[in-house]
Amino acid sequence: MKIGNIDLGEIKESQIGAALAISFLLFNVVFWAYPFIWLVILSVTEWRFFDVPTFSGLKNFFIVLNDPEFWRSVWNVIRFLGYYVPIVLACSLGFAFGLQHIGRGKVFIALSFLVANISSGVAYSLVFEKIFSSTGPLNTFLADWFGFTIPWLSSPNMAMLSISLVVTWKFVGYYGLILYSGLVAIPQEIYDAAELDNTKPLTKLFKITLPMINAQLVMVLVFAITVAFGIFTEPYMITGGGPMESTNMPLLVIYETAFNRLQPSRAALMAIIIALVSYLAIKIMRKFLEKNVELV
Amino acid sequence: MNNIIGIILVAGLLLLNGCSQSDQTTKDASAGKVIKLWVAPEESQEAFWKIVVERWNKSGLGLPVEFKTIPAVESSEKAILTALVADNAPDISTNIFSGFSTQLAGLGQLQDLSVMDGYQELVSVRHMETIMQDWDQNGKKYVFPLYSNPTLIWWRRDILQRLGITKIPETYDDVYALSKQYAASDNKYGMQIMTGKIWYDRWFDFISFYYAASNGKPYVKDGRAVYNNEAGLAVLTFMETIYKNGWTALDFESDDPLTTGLVVGGVRGPWSISFFERMYPDTLKKIVVGPMITKHKGEGKTFTLADSKGLVIFKSSKVKEAAFDFISWVFSNDEISLLWLEKTSLPPARGDLMDNVIFKRFYDTHPMARQYASYVNVAIPSAFTQSTIDVQKTMGFEMIDPVKFGIKTPKEALADAIRRTDKILQAEH
Repeated sequence: MKIGNIDLGEIKESQIGAALAISFLLFNVVFWAYPFIWLVILSVTEWRFFDVPTFSGLKNFFIVLNDPEFWRSVWNVIRFLGYYVPIVLACSLGFAFGLQHIGRGKVFIALSFLVANISSGVAYSLVFEKIFSSTGPLNTFLADWFGFTIPWLSSPNMAMLSISLVVTWKFVGYYGLILYSGLVAIPQEIYDAAELDNTKPLTKLFKITLPMINAQLVMVLVFAITVAFGIFTEPYMITGGGPMESTNMPLLVIYETAFNRLQPSRAALMAIIIALVSYLAIKIMRKFLEKNVELV
Repeated sequence: MNNIIGIILVAGLLLLNGCSQSDQTTKDASAGKVIKLWVAPEESQEAFWKIVVERWNKSGLGLPVEFKTIPAVESSEKAILTALVADNAPDISTNIFSGFSTQLAGLGQLQDLSVMDGYQELVSVRHMETIMQDWDQNGKKYVFPLYSNPTLIWWRRDILQRLGITKIPETYDDVYALSKQYAASDNKYGMQIMTGKIWYDRWFDFISFYYAASNGKPYVKDGRAVYNNEAGLAVLTFMETIYKNGWTALDFESDDPLTTGLVVGGVRGPWSISFFERMYPDTLKKIVVGPMITKHKGEGKTFTLADSKGLVIFKSSKVKEAAFDFISWVFSNDEISLLWLEKTSLPPARGDLMDNVIFKRFYDTHPMARQYASYVNVAIPSAFTQSTIDVQKTMGFEMIDPVKFGIKTPKEALADAIRRTDKILQAEH
């Protein structure tokens, strides 16, 4: 076969593969390797956008190390995960189990839940800001019917929970579908055998279902940890990092350090630290929770 | 005879100078040079600049001007900074506040306007000598202020009347009294104390209240936070009392509480007039404007914050002189100042706002705008510090929020905020 003057028969398969892969490699060089190298260079230099970066050794490291706002934001990630992981896992599992029992309209319902995932973060953040306001519709309803209100966004203790609920709403459909794919892959024979043994539903859940979807659960947890370290739009739009810095997340601190305090070098180092910490968190989670499940 | 020769010589020189300038302008214009102007992304200001730029370009007095609104996705500051870094910044930009101008000046990006030809004449014709003192940055004037928006308090006249209050509240005790009465109704509050959760909202709550309580004393001076004083404590104690008694909601993010009647009063700027005219004309009819509140009513007008913004010429501009000529033409013309007022309702930064007859007719028919204009001379701009955002975030996180939730006493909160702010300001220097 010939394309123009090139005889495809003369080209080795490996060369075609390399040619196809080169576009992906180039993409990575331009959009990943170059920014990453620049990030590393920035982290050990002093640069304020308009001057030439000058080597500053570990100066940025010591400044970031002694920055209480940055480390408080890392602690906030842990707080966020404390709320987010149980809520999103419970809801996603609920969604996946529900989807299993739906006959008609399964695709429509699944897609409806996914709409939240592809919605504009800014748009839904504005909506939730109004819903959760002290004088918003949710609190007006609570006050009218039950005589109390909840400071969803204005209390330092409640604000992170509210942000977790918003992020849960966004990801429940996506995570739910991942878990659903695991559920439908479990052979029915295992449940039939359990039935014969008179196994109780809870035992089935913890001894069969959850272990059998371990891969999907770990995947969802990896995504959840990534989201926790990368969350920006929701706290930025809904709480502005407050009240009392209770929802100030690392990306907010990095953004403000780079563009409000005009210290991109420090922000670069913060970004590297956050990347390393999130990688470590995922590694630890996988070490403790990942199981190699095989059907023999 | 000597006099006549002198006059002829001077006239000749002026003519030559004029010709050479005009020749240069023509050359520049024919070389495709233009003055690039970015204006605030706001409908009424855009309408003003459209007319003014058209007039200038038709007049042929200098290089043509190309204008567009600041391409701000998130904020004007980010858009300007990005353009500067990418080397495609305009020659002139409006919408510059004090803190951002300090940052840009610190990075060496701004032209000192006070060394430009015609600067003194421009300041003098607008009677801006005192105003420019507030914009001094180490003896240099990087910003030419365009407008000065004092913050005042809007009160719902109908609710005040219903409560039997005939005098506009002016003291904390007045607010306590009306709050006690109004908050007794279901789900109602006295006053909106906090404007919002973002750092710039502190201009319209704590800083406005502080300027009123301190008779316009600065809150940052010589690289230190200086609001740990009687005025700062009075404002925080006032806030604590209001929150402790439930006379304000923890936030009002849902709807403007003045329109829903959830509160009787709240701090607003003159920009709210045109907004309410468009969105809530019925509520606007029920509004009466009063000064900022203080612990005790003092003599004369109560000080307040000036939410003031101006324009700058960037150092990277290749047509600085031509750009300043354009600015001089725009802002030395009284008629254009009137046009600004008519289009935006924002008080132009001029010292003769209440005396100049050209503005009289406008203010005679716009009583609310007149009230704002009458406070321009006691309205103080925000502090000139590169750390504006951190200074004001600290006020919220370290001081107002803990007082709001009863975690700290006003005294403790004030001391903590000062400590943290000083650390930030020291790092800046």
